[in-house]
Amino acid sequence: MNEILVRKKWVPYLWLLPSIILMSVFVVFPIMIVFKLAFSEISRAGVVGGFIGFDNFVAAFNDKAFGTVMLNTLVWVVSVVGLSTLFGFIVAMALNTEFFGRKVARSIVVFPWATSLVIQASVWNYIIKYEYGNLNNVLLNLGILKNAVNWRLTYQIEFAWECGVGIFVTIPFVTFCVLSGLQSIDAAYYEAATVDGAGFWKKLRHITLPLVRPSLTVSTVLNIIYVFNSFPIVYTITKGAPANKTDTMVTLLYMRAFYDQQKGPATAMSVIGFVILCIAAGAYMMLSMRKEDEL
Amino acid sequence: MKKLFALLLALMMALSCAAFAAAEDEITLDVIICQYGPNTENWFLGTGMDGTNFVAKFEAENPGIKLNLDVVSWNDVYQEVSTRIENKRFPDILNIDVFADYAAEGLLMPVSEYCPEELYKDFFPQFIEQSVMDGTVWAVPDLASARALYYNVDMLKEAGVEKAPETWAELEDACQAILDYYGGEIYPWGVDMTTDEGQAAFAYYAWGNNGGFVDEEGNWTVNSDANVESVKFSVGLVNKGFTNPNPATQTRYDLQDMFAAGKIAMMIAPNQLPTIVKNSGNEINFATADIPHNEGAGSASVGIMDRIMAFKKDGLTEEENAKRNEAIGKFLTFFYRPENYVGWVSMEDFLPAVNSAVAALVQANPSFEAWLNVLANAKFYPTAKPEWNSVKQGVINVEQNALIGGDVKALLDELQASLTK
Repeated sequence: MNEILVRKKWVPYLWLLPSIILMSVFVVFPIMIVFKLAFSEISRAGVVGGFIGFDNFVAAFNDKAFGTVMLNTLVWVVSVVGLSTLFGFIVAMALNTEFFGRKVARSIVVFPWATSLVIQASVWNYIIKYEYGNLNNVLLNLGILKNAVNWRLTYQIEFAWECGVGIFVTIPFVTFCVLSGLQSIDAAYYEAATVDGAGFWKKLRHITLPLVRPSLTVSTVLNIIYVFNSFPIVYTITKGAPANKTDTMVTLLYMRAFYDQQKGPATAMSVIGFVILCIAAGAYMMLSMRKEDEL
Repeated sequence: MKKLFALLLALMMALSCAAFAAAEDEITLDVIICQYGPNTENWFLGTGMDGTNFVAKFEAENPGIKLNLDVVSWNDVYQEVSTRIENKRFPDILNIDVFADYAAEGLLMPVSEYCPEELYKDFFPQFIEQSVMDGTVWAVPDLASARALYYNVDMLKEAGVEKAPETWAELEDACQAILDYYGGEIYPWGVDMTTDEGQAAFAYYAWGNNGGFVDEEGNWTVNSDANVESVKFSVGLVNKGFTNPNPATQTRYDLQDMFAAGKIAMMIAPNQLPTIVKNSGNEINFATADIPHNEGAGSASVGIMDRIMAFKKDGLTEEENAKRNEAIGKFLTFFYRPENYVGWVSMEDFLPAVNSAVAALVQANPSFEAWLNVLANAKFYPTAKPEWNSVKQGVINVEQNALIGGDVKALLDELQASLTK
């Protein structure tokens, strides 16, 4: 009986069926609905009408804030993913060395990751508050500042803070991805390289980086998706103010859908975001895999 | 024995049929209520209504009507309602601030179809007028609040300001005096131009300058000269350093907390501010006055009103529809009954929408009377116009753009053009 099951070509698909059903119901089906809505007329109250072609997409591209927000989104994704990958890598390298209290240090790194983003963003909001903010209080008490500083003087600075919070909360994920890669590297490679006279940088470049590349690829692709779709940080700290200057695509489409009652263009924006993500994540994965093949 | 068994079986079947018929007779109303404060949910669903709750009391008094009542936060309610509409799962009764979009798209029932006449007559007429579109009343008011100028008496006195400012010129002088005296430690004036309530900041100054959202015929006039001047004035207060430093992200709630902490000297706020100050535990000596206005214009208070409305339900027979309307009417009658409604309004410090509650409220809190007078002369947002939501977001956008150096006239012209195209 078992042999028959193994020989039948459809058997593997049978085992995959529960996953396929789950994915279809909770992933594919909602995506199809969003695509359908993006090409439908949606009234201000939310009543879904008939097919209207690309009108929602035209309205989305004609949105005055769209250009600024696309640029913000690019800065947001590149800075948060790029810098959190760099810092996460450094932290992982540090946590991979033997030192007293390493287990405690590893646990502490998890904290920002384990806390909800809304809570983290709210806490940072309090930290950088001009009036009674923790940062000003600490610096004033230490005598470093004589007068309180407005840490949110311009919207550019506010957006930089949002990126900073994004980096802070993303570092732990990168750290643990890279750490798992580092722990799987055989110590013999480093011993051989040391015998051959290789220094820290040469070992990093020729042993560590190539061998943790699969972990880095996973963390980067997932981070591009998470960070692009991240909503709580920007929404909690500035809600995109002033005049959408600190919005990213996800917060803009939320504001358009539920504050401005422009649900059609908002749905079109979510489809545009989905396509951009598919292209960006796909391109990065292909590039990384090609490099792995070259090795 | 068999006969007895058969008899019992027949009896049970008859009973279950009767129970089924009774269940068939039962009607369930889907109700969405907005969360006005920490007590709302407890009052409707917990133990906040004399140890029990609104739903339990209503159902006990109205057998055959069940309430499926959700208390939803203001942050989520638009998303919740919109999703329900998209999925054609309309609530039977909705409590929210806006109604025009729902009425314009034919989703609401006229109030006359379900509101008992006696109750209808009890509403303040000027409130009912705010929910009229195309000659039909589409919603009833559930409560209101009004705005006035609050000022810290001690701070103004210390800074040499003898009385609360009445005009814009006096306001600027008072701000300058407070700024000079406290050297930036105290914000003379609180301004909220956030997406939460930036439209109120627009209204305070526009209405105090003979401007506003619409003209007497109800046509949009957001780019009038008076409005341009008022936005320039309010943004000018920010640029001169008279206000909290981040008006685009500091909400009314932040400002109220700062006023209660003695960090802000003056601000325009709702009638709930005294409770906020009291709950903060700070000893603030404050008083209220009319909202400052420009020379030659009068002061106008801003009234804010929320509503209760009923959605249509397709696929019902005439009899079922009549029964549903009657159930909605019973819900409203029960809600506005003085012994219930007075508790509801005073619980979160709001102002009433019905005459029958006034006497009891004034008896409990004499300051209510002054606020009711303020409310009687208050202006309301033109929420009966379907474009209101675009205007609301539009004026906030104008203010926020003006804060970062945008041309007020050009921005308001653009908003006006988008409304009249």
